[in-house]
Amino acid sequence: MSEIHGATGSYVLNALDADELEEFEAHLAVCPTCSREVVEFCETAAELSLLASAPPPPALKASVMSAISGVRVLPPDVPADDQTAPVEEAEPQPVAVAAPVDELALRRQRRLTRVLSLAVAAALVVALAQREPPVATSTLETELLNAADVKGYTIELADGGEATFVASKSLGRALFSSGDLPALPADQTYQLWTVAGSLEDPSRVTPDNIVSGGAPAKSWLRGPVAESDALAISVEQAGGSTRPTTIVGATVL
Amino acid sequence: MNISVVPAGSGGEAPRPGPAPTGREADAARLVELMARSARGHEDAFAELYDLTSGRVYGTVLRVLRSADHAAEVTQEVYVEVWRQAARYAPEKGSVLGWMTTMAHRRAVDRVRSVSSEVARDERYAVTGADREVDHVWEGVEQRLDVERVRKGMTSLTAIQREALTLAYFGGYTQSQVASLLKLPLGTVKTRIRDGLIGLRDALGVEA
Repeated sequence: MSEIHGATGSYVLNALDADELEEFEAHLAVCPTCSREVVEFCETAAELSLLASAPPPPALKASVMSAISGVRVLPPDVPADDQTAPVEEAEPQPVAVAAPVDELALRRQRRLTRVLSLAVAAALVVALAQREPPVATSTLETELLNAADVKGYTIELADGGEATFVASKSLGRALFSSGDLPALPADQTYQLWTVAGSLEDPSRVTPDNIVSGGAPAKSWLRGPVAESDALAISVEQAGGSTRPTTIVGATVL
Repeated sequence: MNISVVPAGSGGEAPRPGPAPTGREADAARLVELMARSARGHEDAFAELYDLTSGRVYGTVLRVLRSADHAAEVTQEVYVEVWRQAARYAPEKGSVLGWMTTMAHRRAVDRVRSVSSEVARDERYAVTGADREVDHVWEGVEQRLDVERVRKGMTSLTAIQREALTLAYFGGYTQSQVASLLKLPLGTVKTRIRDGLIGLRDALGVEA
């Protein structure tokens, strides 16, 4: 255990590689001691940045101000204890509503279109995040959301409830997230799957992580996302299966 | 040189009764206020936020990327992201500067680790080793009180702790790369980085 706790420093300095990061963030989500240390270290690292201070090029300010003028400020986070946080918040409307009325608005609209896919995915993940991460956003999630081909897929589950996959094939990563997975009997569990070929006639079905029902869930898929054509979630006997028993939701990538 | 250096204070706490806040606390509180106004879409507040923080943000990014062009580009990305996320900043999670420099550092490191720049950096810098890296950090450090405080904090660390911190933070290297540069086992480097941050935290009296 002490091994994983020891990574707080490297985490704050962004010195973990992708695998280490995934492992540590999973730990961080359940370890208040590490979360606290991470917050403290962020402040310490901020002090360290003092040693690097340098004047930016004078033209940068105008460039930044012009860049933000077309970008909408995201709405505040829904409080973590508000379990009713609706998935509707993740719908693209808030980003897309800026109706073009004049040339400036048209210009802004074009900018908005460029950030649209990112903003939609960000809103999805934020709306579905059940736990406030100790730092602004997890690095892996930022990476996923910044991928050029990131897409969010919200699906209705056959046993009720809703879930979202956010995936980037170029990164080979996908994140499963749900704020309302229906509870299951004690001897059953949800399981994620990566699928190659069509859902009706798959050429490969790879078992992925196990997810508990009845509670908010978030899980990175471990399987070969880049080589997959669909993602699915099923209900299995506790412990999971090597082949899906009852698929309750799926999406084509 | 006209850059405003605003130290990360305890940030965003409710005003206390008694004497007026010191410079550090007042600066940190000002940033929280500017962030709140930015969250409501006030571009003038964001412009002031930029003035007060851009030296730290740009400097950090530049130190990691070592290319003025890349640094300007990444700095702009960081500020656009700060603007987008302004309403999501929560003072209880840390200071504005802590939040912004964390984001800036992460973006810079992400850029460095993209394949092409990794190759370029390896050729140019990996061979120079850790000593060179440490020198680099000390160059051009202004004799300001706050800089002096941090510098002193750094000198309170052991040489290995300081080198490990420096390579990871300013060099943008992963802990495995730091281990390889310092010819130490990964576990040792991980511990030194954490101990270094603890030492620096204690020396600076930083509160979360």
